[in-house]
Parts: sequence; C-alpha cells; structure tokens
Amino acid sequence: MNAATDSYLAGKGGIPEWFTSTDHKKISLMFLGWTGFAFLLGAIFGLFLIVKSLGGRGLEPRFVFQALTYSRLLLVFLFLVPALPSVLGFFLLPLQLGASNMALPNLSRCSLRFYVIRLVLLIASLVGGPIATGWTMAAPLVVAETGLFALVAFGLFFSALSWFLTGVNFLVTVHHKRAPGMGFFDMPILSWALYLTGYLLVITGMLFAVVILYLAASRFSGEGIFGADPMLWNNYFWFVTTPAAFFALLPAIGVISEIIAGISRKRVAGYRMVVGSMITLLGLSFLGWGVNLVGQGQDPITTLVFQALGILAVVPVSLIAYSWLATLYQGAVAREAVVVFVFAFMVHAGIVALMGLFLISPSVGAYLGTTMFAATRLDYLIWGGVLSALLAGLHYWWPKMTGKDYSQDVARIGGVLYLVGLNLALIPNLILGVGGVTGDMAAFEAGPSGLAELAGLGWLIVYSGLILVVGNLFASTWGKATDEVNPWGASTLEWKTATPPPEGNFAEAPQAEGLYRY
Amino acid sequence: MIGSPILATWFPEAASTHAAGVDGPFYWIYIAAVLALFLFTGLGGTFLWIFRRQDRNQLGAVTGPLNPIFLGLWVLGALGVAVFAFVAGFPGFIDQTVAPQGSYGIDVTARQWGWDFIYPNGHVADTLHVATGKPIHLTLNTEDVEQGLSIPAMRVNQAIVPGLESDAWFEATTPGSYELRGSIFSGDGFTDMNSALVVHEPAEFTAWLESVSDIFQGRTYEEVGEILYSRLGCKVCHTTTGHKLVGPTFLDMYGFEFDTVEGTRITVDDAYIRESILTPNISVIAGYQPVMTPFAGLVTDQEIEAITAWLKTLSSKGGDASTEAGADTAGPEAGQEDI
Repeated sequence: MNAATDSYLAGKGGIPEWFTSTDHKKISLMFLGWTGFAFLLGAIFGLFLIVKSLGGRGLEPRFVFQALTYSRLLLVFLFLVPALPSVLGFFLLPLQLGASNMALPNLSRCSLRFYVIRLVLLIASLVGGPIATGWTMAAPLVVAETGLFALVAFGLFFSALSWFLTGVNFLVTVHHKRAPGMGFFDMPILSWALYLTGYLLVITGMLFAVVILYLAASRFSGEGIFGADPMLWNNYFWFVTTPAAFFALLPAIGVISEIIAGISRKRVAGYRMVVGSMITLLGLSFLGWGVNLVGQGQDPITTLVFQALGILAVVPVSLIAYSWLATLYQGAVAREAVVVFVFAFMVHAGIVALMGLFLISPSVGAYLGTTMFAATRLDYLIWGGVLSALLAGLHYWWPKMTGKDYSQDVARIGGVLYLVGLNLALIPNLILGVGGVTGDMAAFEAGPSGLAELAGLGWLIVYSGLILVVGNLFASTWGKATDEVNPWGASTLEWKTATPPPEGNFAEAPQAEGLYRY
Repeated sequence: MIGSPILATWFPEAASTHAAGVDGPFYWIYIAAVLALFLFTGLGGTFLWIFRRQDRNQLGAVTGPLNPIFLGLWVLGALGVAVFAFVAGFPGFIDQTVAPQGSYGIDVTARQWGWDFIYPNGHVADTLHVATGKPIHLTLNTEDVEQGLSIPAMRVNQAIVPGLESDAWFEATTPGSYELRGSIFSGDGFTDMNSALVVHEPAEFTAWLESVSDIFQGRTYEEVGEILYSRLGCKVCHTTTGHKLVGPTFLDMYGFEFDTVEGTRITVDDAYIRESILTPNISVIAGYQPVMTPFAGLVTDQEIEAITAWLKTLSSKGGDASTEAGADTAGPEAGQEDI
C-alpha cells in the first residue's frame, strides 16, 4: 500500500482532514452532502405547499408564502444551479482531463465554504425572521419586508462568489491541466460542458454579486436604485438568473451525452456539432432573459424581439437531441438502472424545451407568462431536468466515486416511481396554469375536483421513489466493493485509474489516447 | 377545432373576443408539442430497448457521419414548429396591444391588497363591472409594489409596475361572473387580490352603474360617512382608535372642546366640522400642523352632513341622532362591497 495507489477515501486524518481537504474528489462528495441537505430542506418546505393545496387548515397565508420562498430559494440557488457543476463537475473534470487535481485547489475549498456560509445564512434568516417575498425578491416588495432580508441577501452574495470561484477554477483547469496530447477537441463532451459552464459561472457570478448588493442597498436605504424603477430590478434579476438555468442545462447536456456514449459503447454522434450547439446555447443564455418578463411590464416590441430570439435556441437544442438518438442507434446499450434515469431526463428535458414553444408564442406567452404554467416549467427544470441528470450521473459514476456497487433492481424501481410520480405531480399544475392560476399559487386554488389530490398522490410516489433511490446509494456504502475498475467498458480517462481513485488520481500521468475509442 | 375536446376543460370559459387569438395558437402548439415529445421520447425509449446489450462484451456500431437528410429534416421540423408558434401567436398579441378607438375607459388602481375600479362618472368599486359588446380599456396603476391584473376568462394578463401606467383592453362576449385576480405576488395579503369581473348586458350595466353611483341609495348617513372616511382618504391622517397621526383622532372628537394653535378654544360641532373640511387650516387644533388639503368643491353639503353624522357615532358625547337618507333605508346588512 502506498500513497499513490490508496483510495482517496482511505485517508487516516478522519473528519478534520475532510474539512481542510483541497482534493477535488472530497470537495465533490462534500458538495453532494450539502446540496443533498439543501434539496431535502427545499423539499420539506414544498411539503407544506402540498398540504395547503390539499386543504390543510391552520396554515396562514404568510407561513405558506414563507415556505414557498424558502423552498424556491433552496431549490434554485442551492440545488438547481450548483448541483451538477459542484458534485459531478468537481469530481470528474480533473479525472477526465488526466489531471491530479483542479488547477486551483484552494479555490475549490473556498467554493465549498462559501456555499456552506450561504446555506447557514439562509437557515439563520429562517430561524431569526423568515422572509416572504417570493424567490424573485422583487423590489420594491423587499423594501417593506419585515423578515431578516439582510441574511438572505448576504447569503446570495456568497452564492455568487461561490459560482464565480468555481467558474474560474473550471476554466483554468481546462486550460492548464489537460493530459499531454489532449487538444480541446480530444476532451470528453462532459469536460466541454463544464468548461463552457465555467464561463457562465464567472460572468453571472460577478453580475449577481453586484446586483444583490444593489438590492441590499435598496432594502436598507428604503428606496435605493430599484425604488424608482422596478423594471430595472426585473431586468437585472432575469439577466442573471436566465443563464443560471443554463448552468444547470449545459452540465446536464454534458452528463447525459457522456452517459449515452458510455452505455451505448459508441462515440458521441456529431461530437463537434454538440460542442458547437453548447457554445451557441451559452451565447443565447445571455440574450434570453426577456422571455421571463413577458406580461411583466416589458413593452410589446421588446417582448417580440426576445421571443423571436427564443426561436434560435431551437436549433442547438434539436441538434443535441438528434445526437443522443443517433448515438443510441445501433449501440450496445447497457441494461443497468442508469438507463431509467437517462430516459427520465429525455422526457423531462423534452417537456421543458417544448413548454418554451408556448412562451415564445406572443399571445399565448402573454397569457401564460405569470401563471402556474411558467412556474411548473421551473419545477420541471429542478425536479425533472437537473435531478434526473444528477441521478443518472450518480448511478453511472457511483462505482468510480465510492468503489461500491448498488442494487440495480432497487434503483430501477425507484427510478420508475420517480418518473411516473413527477409527471402525475406536475401535469395538474400545468392544467391550473392554463386555467389562469397565478404562478406558485396552486396551494391556494381548489381547481377542478381531484386535481390537487392527483398531484398529492404524484408527490407521494416521487418521494417514495427518491427515498428508494437515495437509500439504495447510501446503503451501498456499507455493501461490497465493486470488483470492476471500468464496469461500463467506457473509454474516457476517469475509467483508466483505480476505483475509487487514489489521492493524486493517477499512479502515472496518463496520455490522451484518442476519444471514445471502442 | 382539433384538440379542443381534450383541452376544453383546461381553459376557463372563452368569454371575450381575445380568446380566439390565445386559445387557437395554444391548441395547435399543444398538438405539435405532444407529437414532438412522443417522437423524441418514443425514439429514445425504443433505441434504449431494442439496442440493449446481448452480451457483456458487445460493442456498439462504429459511429459514422450523421445522415444529412434526417438531420436536416429534424432541425427544420423543430425550427418550423417554433416559427409556427411565434407566427400563430402574433396576431392575437398585436390585437391585445392597442385598445380600439371609442373604448369604454375604466381606471384601475391596485394596492396591497385590493382593487379600485374607477368609472368615468367617478364611481369606485372593488369588483369590475362591464357591458358586453363594447371594448373596455383599462388604465392600470399601482399605489405601492408591482402588481398584475389577470382575468383568465377574458384572456387578459397585464403587469402593473409602480410609476408606469399600463394598459389592457378586452371586449366581453358573454354575460356572467368571472374570476379576477392578482397575477404578480405582492406580499402577505396577496390572496385578497382575488376579486370578480361581472359582465352585464348593456342595458343592465347602465342600470347597475346608475344604482350604485348614488352613494346615499339604501344607506344611512352614518354608513355613508364611514365610506367617505375611506374613499376621501381621511383615514391616512385620522384614526378612529385614539391614536394620533398627522391629524387628531376622530374618536371622542364631536362635542368635545379643544385649544387651537391660534390660542382660542373651540367646541367641535357641525359648524366646526364643516369649516375643517372645506377650509381646514383656519382653525387648527393645538399640537397639529396646518397641512390638510382643503376639500372645498370636492364634497357636497350632503356628504359633509353624512361625515358629521358618522363622527357623532364615534363620540361618547356624540349624537343619538340618526338621520335616515331616504324612504328605502337599508338595514345593517347593507354592506360596502358595491362601493
């Protein structure tokens, strides 16, 4: 046994070593724990909304608005945005590039610490004086907010710093830590996605930090920069958070493309086309914010311009979808449970993309823009798109991350329950949205009879499925070690080292051997 | 229309001329989106199943160049659906943007948490009443935070941004009562933004407006005085609880004596109340500034009498006098909801 080949999980330093570690793999696992905790909290707040929609008595409106605000803040800013880059990104980027660690290991640790500070501040505000402004925290509504908005604002500021540092780290790692002989077009598709996400994280991290300080100043001066013109805040907010949705989408596209190639034992079909599509999406993400302002004070001509720009996003999205189908075609597709999560992602991402068609249609978008229809699209993105991709990624790379095998049958059952349950839970909200129910206000609407009950049943199935899936992974850590270094027979570099990898990732520095060579 | 049987229960009743411009494109986009979703996930699911591995060491076929015809059809198909979605919704959107000439104008003020619908004759109501067959032009303002007006059955959904005047218009086609709600979250009492749109036949609407516009119709003077206390904005500066704001409280005011800033001593009686409403800064109670807006020309003598009658009810020395407004005096159940 020596330091070069011992698993990174075999460290002798105990828990203190984890807190001070700058190893990307340990950072990733800690991010998994913290984002999992944030997701759990967000889901618990979501339960109050479900109870209210089922006629829960004794839940005062302000309490429900607080639950709604914190559920969204946790699920958007502490799960949707950071989950994929922080968990799968930190773990896989150096391994896929053949590097021993991230280029800036201290920044990795800083990203994690800022994330934790943000979570602690949010929980502190919850204990000290929860806010009820909704997750978009519109000025001037926040000016009159009686809860501890300061803690939420500083928390968001730390979020933004965490995004920025993670982005810088990704960019520098890709530029300086690629294995000898690995050009940009020799990088696995996931590394490309993480590289592009790095740009998004850097740009929006900076902007969001500034915007949130403006908002805090607005709150504390009682007027401030947004007091005179609320549209300014609306534009700033969506300019920053629209790309934030792409933080989630780009890595998700990378994860799913990578897994589809891995489980099919084929090269990614149209590799350069997918890279080009992701670059196009990166550019469009900064031009699309106005679609979220349809019917929210934006003038009609500007609305039409943004909706017309939204049409352009169809091209890269359809090219990526085509690449997945072409990769699967005549592949040797694995039979393991990960397939269920890949399919779940295809369903949910398809729904998110196709719902966009309604919002870029001017008259329909104006009618639906502030309703449950648009709010449910966000739910599909969080609970459908990102969660499916994260679960697919975890089930694909779990043996590599932990050195353990999990029960395939339990994962399959849990995955099917999650897929069926989520659509049962969310489709009723789409129907309410078309009926004109205001966004996020489903809890206060009876709606057509049986709809809330159907959604409640759906959520019950979702939670049951997720408990099975997470419990299965968790239980596997006490189970038997995997006996295969490369269970998928995949060709990327993370599978060329020990399972789980040693502290420095590779006993000997690897050479790039050509991508997706089967 | 194809698809409408499936979706008819999703939309609220189509009761305005805007419905065709929204519902039509929605149905077609819905059909295209469902077909596209089935095509994509159907192909994905089929490939995941039929190309499943037959033995552990099987490799996938070598990935060749993409078939340009299939790829072109796929992308053009997707782009075609998106362009169709945009073009189909364009006329309806343009139609909603500018109200026709000769529309019936109603000013709408949103606040935390309620609505004022102000009719051309000055009548203010908290529910919106309109007539069929006439374009209704709403001019929207908010007193405080960002708000939104949504009337799903009219297919109207318009944000109201502080400091900006917004517009919306619709023409109702079917009489009835419809939901009207806030479409942008505006704080703790947001559910109080739920109100109603009542659509009348034209003759019925005219009769309704005439009947509700006479504030004294069916009310005692005391009830009218209390309504005016809110409507004229008196409550911004004067409480009825004994608390001091910019102006003195109305509790225990009528019949009591006060020192004035001019050094005299006055008794609050009918004459003093009349003077304080019309020319309030002539004789100001000690401890307050002469900052009240004169209401001369803004209130009628009958309204001043109503306010005076109501103030008497707030005073422990106050009037037992209760002057009836008319022959058809309403009982206590005559509420304020129509005001």
